[in-house]
Amino acid sequence: MAAPSVSCGAAVPYRLFLAGRVSFAREQGLWKAAASGLQTGTRCQILRLKHSPAVTTTKNVAALRRESYTVDFIKKQIEEFNIGKRHLANMMGEDPETFTQEDVDRAITYLFPSGLFEKRARPIMKHPEEIFPKQRAVQWGEDGRPFHFLFYTGKQSYYSLMHEAYGKVLHAEERQDQLRAKGLFSEKSKSKDLIGSRWLIKEELEEMLVEKLSDQDYAQFIRLLERLSALPCDAAEEEFVGRFRRTVTVQSKKHLIEPLQYDEQGMAFSTGQGKRKTANAEAVVYGHGSGKIEINGVDYLLYFPVTQDREQLMFPFHFLDRLGKHDVTCTVSGGGRSSQAGAIRLAMSRALCSFITEDEVEWMRQAGLLTTDPRVRERKKPGQEGARRKFTWKKR
Amino acid sequence: MRGDGWGEGSPNRAFIMFRLLQGKVLFFTSLSLDYFHLKHSACAKQSLLLEYTVKILKLCGLTQVRWSRYGPEYQDPQIDKEYYRKPLAQLTEEETYERELRKTQVIKAAPATKTSSVFEDPVISKFTNMMMKGGNKILARSLMTQTLEAVKRKQFEKYHAASAEEQATVERNPYTIFHQALKNCEPVIGLVPILKGGHFYQVPVPLAERRRRFLAMKWMITECREKKPRRMLMPEKLSQELLEAFCNRGPVIKRKHDMHKMAEANRALAHYRWW
Repeated sequence: MAAPSVSCGAAVPYRLFLAGRVSFAREQGLWKAAASGLQTGTRCQILRLKHSPAVTTTKNVAALRRESYTVDFIKKQIEEFNIGKRHLANMMGEDPETFTQEDVDRAITYLFPSGLFEKRARPIMKHPEEIFPKQRAVQWGEDGRPFHFLFYTGKQSYYSLMHEAYGKVLHAEERQDQLRAKGLFSEKSKSKDLIGSRWLIKEELEEMLVEKLSDQDYAQFIRLLERLSALPCDAAEEEFVGRFRRTVTVQSKKHLIEPLQYDEQGMAFSTGQGKRKTANAEAVVYGHGSGKIEINGVDYLLYFPVTQDREQLMFPFHFLDRLGKHDVTCTVSGGGRSSQAGAIRLAMSRALCSFITEDEVEWMRQAGLLTTDPRVRERKKPGQEGARRKFTWKKR
Repeated sequence: MRGDGWGEGSPNRAFIMFRLLQGKVLFFTSLSLDYFHLKHSACAKQSLLLEYTVKILKLCGLTQVRWSRYGPEYQDPQIDKEYYRKPLAQLTEEETYERELRKTQVIKAAPATKTSSVFEDPVISKFTNMMMKGGNKILARSLMTQTLEAVKRKQFEKYHAASAEEQATVERNPYTIFHQALKNCEPVIGLVPILKGGHFYQVPVPLAERRRRFLAMKWMITECREKKPRRMLMPEKLSQELLEAFCNRGPVIKRKHDMHKMAEANRALAHYRWW
């Protein structure tokens, strides 16, 4: 299906995980590590911290045309990388045979300490597969005749994949008709793990096919795959569909629930920390109590005269039906009244996780009680009066 | 900046927000895509005042907003307690699917104004926010509570002054009065200025649900602010207006009827609408 391509893998740019595929302006001999000639590649793709759609910098078109790497060049790079890795291992006093990529990274950060804030601008020594983007080898023979029968569509891998998938769909439908004719067809739905996995995103598919796709192409492909998965499939077809699915982690497993602690009197308690804007809070929730909340040594009724803040404090307990059952002592600093209330709410929710079942933790997470609110005050920009407000426009 | 962009308000307004069904992989049909294309071409016809172009991802459940601190994959929190307390046996297939799906999704933090409290009402919160000036939520909320108290007092006075048969008809719950009053103020059809042949024509247009609610609240608040006697306080005036609207009288209802009459008068221009 994929055309013969130069074997260069790039770090997968998951849009969901916001990793950047980075490669830099080509400068000969800039980050030469030990004995290996490391050369970094092409243009830089910036992903803003505020999750804006990915924007590429203005491309130097002339430079792009020089980008084609020959197979020999890449092979040479790989050899140099391997030799360099061995030299590096010797330098660090470790065994070259068992020198992994993590050890390489550690060695490089040790030998080339960099104070640059941008992590992607620091010296790296990675396998050329990760640095040089995947490219296609020449698609036609010496006589100029292309190898693939769909070459002139422009997107040969994509169309051949669609062709294959559609063939499978027809095959499955034919089989379904045969089963129906025999009366052996049963309407039971297939137990596919639709939730534990997701379809490939467009970037992943592009990378797999080494071809640019449009949004409509991608959507068409996904529709076809869904149609195929809806039909009764045999093992080969399931495997085909499985190639385009990736597993999705269950979110709640990422939370680490602290075990309960016990103080001198034998009372169970648990601590939690919370942040909101610039407010930091630490809460200690006791297992048995009468619903008393003490903040910085002051009762919550005096500390938060506003109803809204007290409602925020009450929220986690009311959600779990544990309103009068716990005592809380917390300290908070920074921020304003609302952000302090939010910080304490988060701290209390986290502390409460130790007292409740896993299901309830998941409910709290889905109610938004266990997420740190990432919204912070936006900075003022030069040339504007505030973060968004512009100066009054004057015609003259 | 959030709003249902589909056919709401002025077509020259350029905000397009589209929230796809959350994670309905099974129900992701070509229908949603065609709709998207239709809307896209319709918007392309308008003057391209697209200040904030929002890239719409076709993957279910992802809405990309340009300046949001949350990524596109973050979902809104579900705060209703009863949703979680429902036993698993009673869930339909769709609900089980949705539950399973939510386990894999990242959720945003709950905002500071929402709680699981029984006293919380989304309509009241929205109205309070609209009444708020300069970010003074404390004042707005206190005005709101005073208004509801005033409504309750007036109704109780009326209740005690009425005879036994009439007492059954007197509504004393301020929340029901509030909701009913706003519902009575909602216009069914609205007017939209459409540029045609160099002139702006007021074209009658059906309004979306949230636009209607917004207009009702907006009219109520502007009416109370502008037509208030000088020494009268906002809660008193607002309670008065709410009670009148509850009985389908009063200036806000009149404004709604005026809007309807204008729409009726301009119904010849209805074909200027293309959506």
